[in-house]
Amino acid sequence: MKSTLPFIGALALALASAVSGAEAPVPAKIEFNRDVRPIFSDKCFFCHGTDKSHRDSGRRLDLPDGPDGAYANKDDVIAIKPGDLAGSDAWARITSDDKDDVMPPPKSHKTLSAAEKNIIQRWIEQGAKYQKHWSFEPPQRAPLPEVKDKAWVRNPIDAFVLAGLEKAGLQPAPEADRRTLARRLALDLTGLPPTPEEVEAFVKDDAPDAYEKLVAMFMARPQWGEHRGRYWLDAARYGDTHGIHIDNYVEMWPYRDWVIAAFNRNLPFDQFTVEQIAGDLLPNPTRDQLIATGFHRCNITTSEGGTIDEENLAMYANDRVTTTSWVWLGLTANCAACHDHKFDPITQKDFYSMAAYFRNTTQPAKDGNVRDTKPVIYLPSAADEKRFAAVPADIAAARTQLGERRPEAGKESAQWLASAKPEQVEISSAAVEVKLPLDEGAGVEVRGESNGSDVDFKSTGPIEWRDGGKFGKAPAFTNGAHFDLGDLAGFDADQPFSAGAWVNVPPDFKGGAIVARMDDRAALQGWELFIEGNKFGAQIAAAKPANALRVVSKSPTVRPGKWQHVLVTYDGSGSSSGFRLFLDGRTQLVVAQGTALKGSARADVPLRIGQRETKSKFEGGQVQDVRVYLRELSTGEARSLPDEHNLRAAFAVAPEKRTPAQKASLLNFYVDNLDGPSIELAFRIEALENEKTAIEERSTVSGIQQDKPGAPMANILMRGAYDKLGDEVTPAGFSALHPTPPDAPKNRLGLADWLVAPNNPLTARVTVNRYWQELFGTGIVRTSEDFGSQGELPSNPELLDWLAVEFRESGWNVKKFFTLLVTSATYRQAATSTPEKQEKDPQNHLLSRGPRFRMDAEMIRDYALAVSGELSLKMGGPGTKPYQPSNIWEVVGLGGARYTQDTGENLYRRTVYDFWKRESPPPNMEAFNAPSRETCTVRRERTDTPIQALVTLDDPQFVEAARRLAQSTLKECGDPSAVIAKMAERVLLRPLSPAETTVLTRTETDIEKQFAADPDGAKAFLSVGDSKADPNLPAPRLAALAIVANQLLNLDETLNK
Amino acid sequence: MNCNSHLFANLPAETRLALTRRQLFAHGRNVLGAAALGSLLGGSWSRALGDAAPDRPALPHFPPKAKRVIYLHMVGGPSQMDLYDYKPEMVKMYDKDLPDSVRNGQRLTGMTSGQARFPIAPSKFTFSQAGQCGLWMNTELLPWTAKCVDDMAFIRSMHTDAINHEPAITEMQTGAMVAGRPCIGSWLSYGLGSMNANLPTFVVLVAKPSNSEQVQAISGKLWSAGFLPGEHAGVSFRSAGDPILFIGNSPGVTPGMRRRELDGLKELNEMAYQSVGDPETHTRIQQYEMAFRMQSSVPELTDLTQESARTYELYGEEARKPGSFANSVLMARRLSERGVRFVQIYHNNWDHHSNVGGRMPDQCRDVDQPTHALIQDLKERGMFEDTLVIWGGEFGRTIYSQGGLTHTNYGRDHHPRCFSMWMAGGGAKGGAIYGETDDFSYNVVKDPVHVHDFHATVLNLLGIDHERFTYKAQGLDYKLTGVEPATVVKGLIA
Repeated sequence: MKSTLPFIGALALALASAVSGAEAPVPAKIEFNRDVRPIFSDKCFFCHGTDKSHRDSGRRLDLPDGPDGAYANKDDVIAIKPGDLAGSDAWARITSDDKDDVMPPPKSHKTLSAAEKNIIQRWIEQGAKYQKHWSFEPPQRAPLPEVKDKAWVRNPIDAFVLAGLEKAGLQPAPEADRRTLARRLALDLTGLPPTPEEVEAFVKDDAPDAYEKLVAMFMARPQWGEHRGRYWLDAARYGDTHGIHIDNYVEMWPYRDWVIAAFNRNLPFDQFTVEQIAGDLLPNPTRDQLIATGFHRCNITTSEGGTIDEENLAMYANDRVTTTSWVWLGLTANCAACHDHKFDPITQKDFYSMAAYFRNTTQPAKDGNVRDTKPVIYLPSAADEKRFAAVPADIAAARTQLGERRPEAGKESAQWLASAKPEQVEISSAAVEVKLPLDEGAGVEVRGESNGSDVDFKSTGPIEWRDGGKFGKAPAFTNGAHFDLGDLAGFDADQPFSAGAWVNVPPDFKGGAIVARMDDRAALQGWELFIEGNKFGAQIAAAKPANALRVVSKSPTVRPGKWQHVLVTYDGSGSSSGFRLFLDGRTQLVVAQGTALKGSARADVPLRIGQRETKSKFEGGQVQDVRVYLRELSTGEARSLPDEHNLRAAFAVAPEKRTPAQKASLLNFYVDNLDGPSIELAFRIEALENEKTAIEERSTVSGIQQDKPGAPMANILMRGAYDKLGDEVTPAGFSALHPTPPDAPKNRLGLADWLVAPNNPLTARVTVNRYWQELFGTGIVRTSEDFGSQGELPSNPELLDWLAVEFRESGWNVKKFFTLLVTSATYRQAATSTPEKQEKDPQNHLLSRGPRFRMDAEMIRDYALAVSGELSLKMGGPGTKPYQPSNIWEVVGLGGARYTQDTGENLYRRTVYDFWKRESPPPNMEAFNAPSRETCTVRRERTDTPIQALVTLDDPQFVEAARRLAQSTLKECGDPSAVIAKMAERVLLRPLSPAETTVLTRTETDIEKQFAADPDGAKAFLSVGDSKADPNLPAPRLAALAIVANQLLNLDETLNK
Repeated sequence: MNCNSHLFANLPAETRLALTRRQLFAHGRNVLGAAALGSLLGGSWSRALGDAAPDRPALPHFPPKAKRVIYLHMVGGPSQMDLYDYKPEMVKMYDKDLPDSVRNGQRLTGMTSGQARFPIAPSKFTFSQAGQCGLWMNTELLPWTAKCVDDMAFIRSMHTDAINHEPAITEMQTGAMVAGRPCIGSWLSYGLGSMNANLPTFVVLVAKPSNSEQVQAISGKLWSAGFLPGEHAGVSFRSAGDPILFIGNSPGVTPGMRRRELDGLKELNEMAYQSVGDPETHTRIQQYEMAFRMQSSVPELTDLTQESARTYELYGEEARKPGSFANSVLMARRLSERGVRFVQIYHNNWDHHSNVGGRMPDQCRDVDQPTHALIQDLKERGMFEDTLVIWGGEFGRTIYSQGGLTHTNYGRDHHPRCFSMWMAGGGAKGGAIYGETDDFSYNVVKDPVHVHDFHATVLNLLGIDHERFTYKAQGLDYKLTGVEPATVVKGLIA
């Protein structure tokens, strides 16, 4: 307790000051923005502000003039009469004792304190001068303030800071020592600690520009981009999954890598903005500019079956407006989604005018639970690049030839049709095992055909016949009812066959058997055509030994709510490559999931439509026109099969009476099945399309933005409801800010230009404030997402404005700006505090000392990896999956996704590359306030909890790092005391004090004794993590040193920047 | 007397201080570092600090009836007309179409919007009256629950805004359909703070249903702190491995070694404090000590071998099976006993688009006896009066069948316009039956209770005026109960 005594004094002082602070003397000269606006905003604007729909008595207190303004005379009442307290109705109401009269009214649960009333009183007395909200006025460079200690000032930042300190009667802290500075700089510029060698070199470097050289060195490293990019990725809400409902993988990492590269090539912030908001609309956009537009593809999306498309699209646009507004403007526009903003001059019309920029996207309302929700850019590997570029032209050429062949084929087909017999103009009924239309429309009995004879079948339960079938009413399989076809299609894997049907499934369909002769009571035995998730597939299986030939479509192809024709053909080869899958007559790429079959696949169960023998029910799905052939249909037949009904009807009509569609059907049949040159061209096109799809499938993709043709527009959504459309609006920036130039493009490019326009009062301020926050822990405006009237005022407005102008006028040069910040005397201060500073500047708002705060989650993990020597500096690529406790993903989503931990290098990559599942982010990162990335975050929480201690003490990542630090140092040094000194140098980047050495050595000695007595314990501890401990080192000693390393990694000093 | 202090009244003084400081520093308000902080500042500390950082509100606003909550969420939306909303008239309406006048423009989900007919499916289960209150309920599948209806307040007139799972469950737990808002457990953790020194304030258990025919997605946002400080997020308790992530010492590390390590750490951190003077350093020391206490107390918490034969008689043998609903409920009781303020249990597979007949018995078997056991057990331990137990899903289901209909089997689609929930203990009015729906259990005809009204009522039982319980974020004073007026349902309060 003794050690805390000096602070009891500080405590009492702080307490006194805090209490007196609550009743601080009212300043002599009242300023509206500084003194009055916060009171009005909090207590009055809700009813007397910008929202006209919610404005009581029509009176505004946010504006002086205009018919509703505070000065206006309305029915002989003036709310605020400058200089005349008695003539100001607002004052009378504020001070009224009558509960029906008093403002704010009791039902608002808001009251004005005596101090607040005093401020309002003096303001009215002094003339009630209004000011525009500070952040809506363009920033201006104020003249540098006069300071006493001129020698301290290294650059203009320091003049502004020092003026504030001198006014408060405080001294800046002395400059931090060189080791501290080197560590702080490395962490701030690269997110990683420096090496002891780098620190030593800096300590010894007596060149006058030693510090500037160090800054330049760190800034030149590619880790600079990783570190700066990480902050931006919070704002961009970057993640690796869709975010809502099933939360599957979505491929966006090229965007993440683009962000990192953009910082590394020091892309000016205005260009950085334009490319992300509208890179696709630039002339001849580069691949990188398209990838950049991923910014607004990082919003969370859903594919939940029952959701309503318009609702989803409204939600996506809402997120994009909200995010744009937080990130660039520091305005909480989200409030204006349902009504005019109550505190800031953002109308509901403004909100939807900005939404209009985002509303004509080609992006679907449901993400399909796939990695490549359109629109995407394909990024083929180097090996594929050439072909991927060439194939579209090849396809187009072959298509042209096919088109050119058509007139000739048409002539020939007319001749052929003149003499053709009806059975020649349909798929040959040779070897028809099952032909079952399922178009009865009622009842439980259905009639089909097998080998030329009619056969009747019955369903196993009541069948619901629904309108909207492919052919009349179609049966839906519900509550387990299905069709049992008896002993048909019972063959083995040496039998060529084809099986197909029209199918239609409901949203959220999980899968089931379409047609199956499959015994599933033990292992699978038989064959089937099925849906699994959103893919079609087929298999032939043998139970003994359990194995199968199995293929499923490579991409998700099942479209709920639509009739689709699916057909599988098989050549009897006993190989999975013998399968071909057709969808609506088109071949599909398949993935083989079982490639060899041993044993017989013949099944001793009936053929069923709508389920296997007992399971895999086609619940809720519909099926019509089931076919099973005991032969492999040709490609032409497969193409014609979905059109067969039309063909038959067309042929039956006299040639001169055929409609154009009927003529086309017949010609297609001829071209697909009988015309040699066309068949050859079709084959070529198919091969080329398959090649293209195959390249797309194996390429990396990244979500991009793309507009539909036509001018963007949106409707105001009344109360934010997707189905309550109000007036139509065209794209525009917020009306209370600088105007959107009339000639600006009416698309996102116009928005981007508006955001970075020189007369935008907010973008530069908001951006420099975020950068400041990255280094100093707190922004000059603490509420970095809200520069509106509910946000906090800047702690140093002149400094903020000076920085904003400086940044913009430097050409939005990010590296130059950070250089300015870190070379200031303000930044270079020691973090040491004093009781006086704790009293006068408890939050360090005045910057009376250097920044010291707990590092972000990613930095803490990277720090441990770096000092242990494990860290891989490999950059980019798909999200990595380092250590994670089991069953983290399983409890969320639909429980289907499993976390498959990486091995080797990927366990030790930088955390910015961690795979980010939004419904379940890495728990060791979440513990340290890493956001879920479901929504935009421009300011992280920074809290301290016991869970954090558990992570850095016991997470295998940290335990392994500690062991590897201990191991490499032990090999280097041998003697425990030397090892401890060396490890501490690595972690703390400074020599230990004798007192510290004593504590650490005692820990080592005690614990080594305990491990020596428990060799199994030592062994168990040393086996944490994938890497192996060196068996040649004495286990108890290594284990004890690893505990010491763990202790070092858990020091407050280590965890703080 | 400090309005917060009664929460800590039963804790040792040292713990009380630690907690106060923890809460104080939770917002990074590093004003003061001295140990005697709590007692020095007395009643108005949260205001006295006066920084713009969001303050802990002065709570509760009035004497609470409930001190803690156990919330049993049935994921997927249980069918109200098959459990608590008895509709005998429907038997005559079997397979008849739902009248348009009843549907009255209700939008449909994508699941049934293509359906040609909306044939009425009466419940296949046996209903009878239970308890003194005479509630008509499914006594066939809920015989145990039927024994304690006089302890429960039933709401048959719940309604919500969302018609699909993700937005509906998000609204039920956070008051809003969109991501990013704090859930109810986080609001209470923020508002009322902790009642113990060794365990989290808000714990989540995801129970495994015995039938998993059609489970629905749940996500971490259901226990997220949203814009509230991160320490108010729910801590997910796991049935396998460490109950709390990272709670176990690394293999081979004994508690003695850990103590040794922490002692050293404390000494070293104290030295750092002496040289730098950053009060946050003391917060960190405290967090490590609290982590150690958590590590020490969790094994005792999860050791069910201490439970008596009586416990398993009450909860059933299923309670021995880690991760089962019975086991989760028993764990919830143990957590509540040890001062955890809010325990949330999720039980899945209530999304009965098909096969109500086949699945409902499994669902009810999972929850029936354990629910009864929980109420009895709380009573026997004298905790029922101040523990609020909540049961319910995120929406109801349609009277018409989704898919084929027989007398014994049918499916039901989502339905937002009415559904049933109940509350027990903690000031809920035993035997109350609140609200009515029409004969089709399709529309509320009396005393509607919106999700926000429900939240307002829960907060009221915990001594909180929902109108005054706000948090400033993103430029707004957010409330759990949203911007539209919400009402405390007096009829549910004893």
